[in-house]
Amino acid sequence: MMNVSTPVYLEDKLEEVERSGKLEYRSGTLPTWCPGCGYFSISEGVGKAMTELGLDQKDTVCVSGIGCASRFPFFMNTYGFHSLHGRALPVATGIKVANDDLTVVVVGGDGDAFAIGGGHIPHAARRNVDITYILFDNGVYGLTKGQTSPTSVLGFKTTTTPYLNFDQPLNPLMMLLSYGASWVAQAYAGEPHHLTEMIKAAIDHRGFSYLHVLSPCVTFDKTSMTYKNLDMSVHPLPDDHDASDFSAAMTAAQTTDHHQIGVYFSSERPTLSDGLDEISERAKQTA
Amino acid sequence: MARTAKQRTDIQIAICGSAGDGTIAAGDILKQAMAKAGYNVIAFDVYPPEIRGFGKCIARARITSEQVYSLKSESDCLISLNDSHAIPHVSEVCKFGTVIYEDTPVSTVEEGAHVSSHLAPAHLPYGVAFREISERITSSARSRNIVAVGYLAGLYDMPADVFHEVISGKFASKSKELADSVRAAFDAGFQAGVDTFRLHFDRMGAAGGRGKQTDLVMMSGNAAIVRGCLDAGIDTFFGYPITPATTIMEMLAREMPKRGGRLLQTEDEISAIAATIGAGYTGARAATATSGPGLALMAEMMGLGAMAEVPAVAFVSQRGGPSTGMPTKTEQSDLNLAVFGVAGDGQRIVLAPTNVEGCYKCAGKAFEMAEAFQTPVIVLLDLYLSNRYEAVQLPVKNPFAENCSKAPRKNASPAEYSRYKLTSDGVSPRAIPGETGRMHTVTGLEHDERGKPSDQPRIHHAMSGKRHQKLLPALKHPGITISKRFGDKGAVDVGVLGWGSTFGEILEAMIEARKEGIRCAAMKVVMLSPLPVGPVKAFMDDCNEVLVPELNYEAQFASLVTGATGRSVHRLNRVRGTPMSVGEILDQIRHLAGQSGKIAAE
Repeated sequence: MMNVSTPVYLEDKLEEVERSGKLEYRSGTLPTWCPGCGYFSISEGVGKAMTELGLDQKDTVCVSGIGCASRFPFFMNTYGFHSLHGRALPVATGIKVANDDLTVVVVGGDGDAFAIGGGHIPHAARRNVDITYILFDNGVYGLTKGQTSPTSVLGFKTTTTPYLNFDQPLNPLMMLLSYGASWVAQAYAGEPHHLTEMIKAAIDHRGFSYLHVLSPCVTFDKTSMTYKNLDMSVHPLPDDHDASDFSAAMTAAQTTDHHQIGVYFSSERPTLSDGLDEISERAKQTA
Repeated sequence: MARTAKQRTDIQIAICGSAGDGTIAAGDILKQAMAKAGYNVIAFDVYPPEIRGFGKCIARARITSEQVYSLKSESDCLISLNDSHAIPHVSEVCKFGTVIYEDTPVSTVEEGAHVSSHLAPAHLPYGVAFREISERITSSARSRNIVAVGYLAGLYDMPADVFHEVISGKFASKSKELADSVRAAFDAGFQAGVDTFRLHFDRMGAAGGRGKQTDLVMMSGNAAIVRGCLDAGIDTFFGYPITPATTIMEMLAREMPKRGGRLLQTEDEISAIAATIGAGYTGARAATATSGPGLALMAEMMGLGAMAEVPAVAFVSQRGGPSTGMPTKTEQSDLNLAVFGVAGDGQRIVLAPTNVEGCYKCAGKAFEMAEAFQTPVIVLLDLYLSNRYEAVQLPVKNPFAENCSKAPRKNASPAEYSRYKLTSDGVSPRAIPGETGRMHTVTGLEHDERGKPSDQPRIHHAMSGKRHQKLLPALKHPGITISKRFGDKGAVDVGVLGWGSTFGEILEAMIEARKEGIRCAAMKVVMLSPLPVGPVKAFMDDCNEVLVPELNYEAQFASLVTGATGRSVHRLNRVRGTPMSVGEILDQIRHLAGQSGKIAAE
């Protein structure tokens, strides 16, 4: 908790922000999200993580699909590709295959990822494309003004489910683990420092890294995934969790009523680009 | 009978069998060998969608001493490897044509089940013991197809050495034993052909062609696309298997990695075009290949490519539709989808080559245009063009330019950089990731010059104009035929307007009509979007009647032309899954020429 007795002056704060260097990653475009949206802390975290990792803006590409979260590239001072609903991963795969020198960060929401784009996730994961996928999960369609998403809770009443949401929510962490993602973690927008650390580790990982970020929608979900509820249910993974143990990761991912944050699973294996280089080597030998 | 040097050769061979009989393989050896001997060859195979399962396969090859443009509707020779499949095709054998068949069947043949009982009086029957010869020479009946090709070569005086070369080349990667056995089967068949009593029909000795040619290569439309891609320096390819485009990906999968190129089989067509656009965004030369159903899935991404102004190339080989349709039959019914299939005003460039050489040209030029005009480019083929073989001569010098991208000026301030700057030609300087200071976000949302989302009326209007105006100079892109007129100059009775694979048949029909004294011309239109309205109109002005033959039911090209020029045309539409016959087009030309004469007389 902030000490209420110490006043914070705007000038001091601005100076501190400028000194930190993270503004370099901000574009001149101000975010269009609602006040209080969890996405502010994610974009803040990405900026900070890029600063601390020392990424060069000219060699960084943020790729997104469509949705509230997908507006993200416009707010960043990196190269950006705001593509189509559900299609951020294949676009990012094309970018990475064409130019290995680029750091590719894919962002998107839960609908973009698991509804319309659900078919692409297993393939990006199994190929181990060396990109970072940051999933902004607010459990609702925000940009179309509040309809259920594949991660909405059971019973959630929205404009398209005025009586009842009958569809069982997906378990993204288990899905990504079983798809063969080489790095899987969860963070919470209400824990910005931990979130930043997770983003840094995700970008740092060589291979496909998936970071699931729980992020309340303050406008369209005032019942389930609120700051209040998440503040109560979010806990760190136990200290003795072994991120190299796939079964332990699966077991931990089964727990959904009490969200655990941290790195579930981390492993190293050749990336898609490694594979394509190997193919090229073999082809040249037979030529 | 010895041929005189000046005699014209024009023989079409049809080999018909059941899937698994080696029909297509036999046809392949025949066409490769005759191209090696210096003949012009046009070949097209028809096969069923199933891999086995007794579907009908026909390999047709037209072998000529002069340049021709299509297959004939009649064949001079039919080889039956399976009588039940071959019987319906006896009627396509011309008068005094030959029919070659198995004369020693394994078991008793019921009345009417043997091909010999279906011959017309003017057909010349040649019975051969394919199976017995094959078993005697190779101790297996599997080389029946090779024995048949050998027999054909012997019967028609074809030079054996070119066949030997092709067989050695084809089996070089397999065991020497196998190559020797295939060659022995060929030789046994050849000897049987030579030993046969022959009537006087057109023969084709070694002297018939232009002699051995090293610069002529036998190539399918899809293979020519691949060569075009490689010569244009393709960097990445993303695709999803679909007939009849799969072979493009298969050939590239073998060739690209040798040159450091990268190819990935994606999870569907949407990701194939998405990754192609992603790669194009980084400055790579990127392509995908698909058929109509795949293009339908790609429609939304084509719009993104147009809006975000990203170069991407898609090769689309049409087949029978709609829906899954007829996957192994030819059709030209995806013109509307290729030209118009997008949400909103999302024009792109569409090229439709008319022959195998055109496939090569269009493939390479598609990359140039995609870069130069920052747009998706569709190269529209069809099964008949993709799978048709022609002997082509490729340029010795690579005809494709390396980089056609309009880059920001070196000394321009990066801070001032606007990705979508409104310029006089509509093309904005394009920065790609990796360039210092020119960071920007490309988007499918309408945007201002800096790329920032905007729905201002003024901006949407200006940007829509930019995206369309910038494509018009493509009509003057160097080194590619956009449209071309053939036949009589000046005013004519009948003009035939065509596109894509059907143009070969159109040319043949036009040439025949002129021989009959009809004043006739033909025009091919290679660029379907933007349409070369000026030349098309000028051509129509010269014609009393305009005929548009195409392989679709809805007269899609005729409607496109009518809409763009405001003039009416006569439509000729067939959707039988086979190429249009020259005779049908010729009949229409005759009919219209009669009408035209009448109108002129009145």
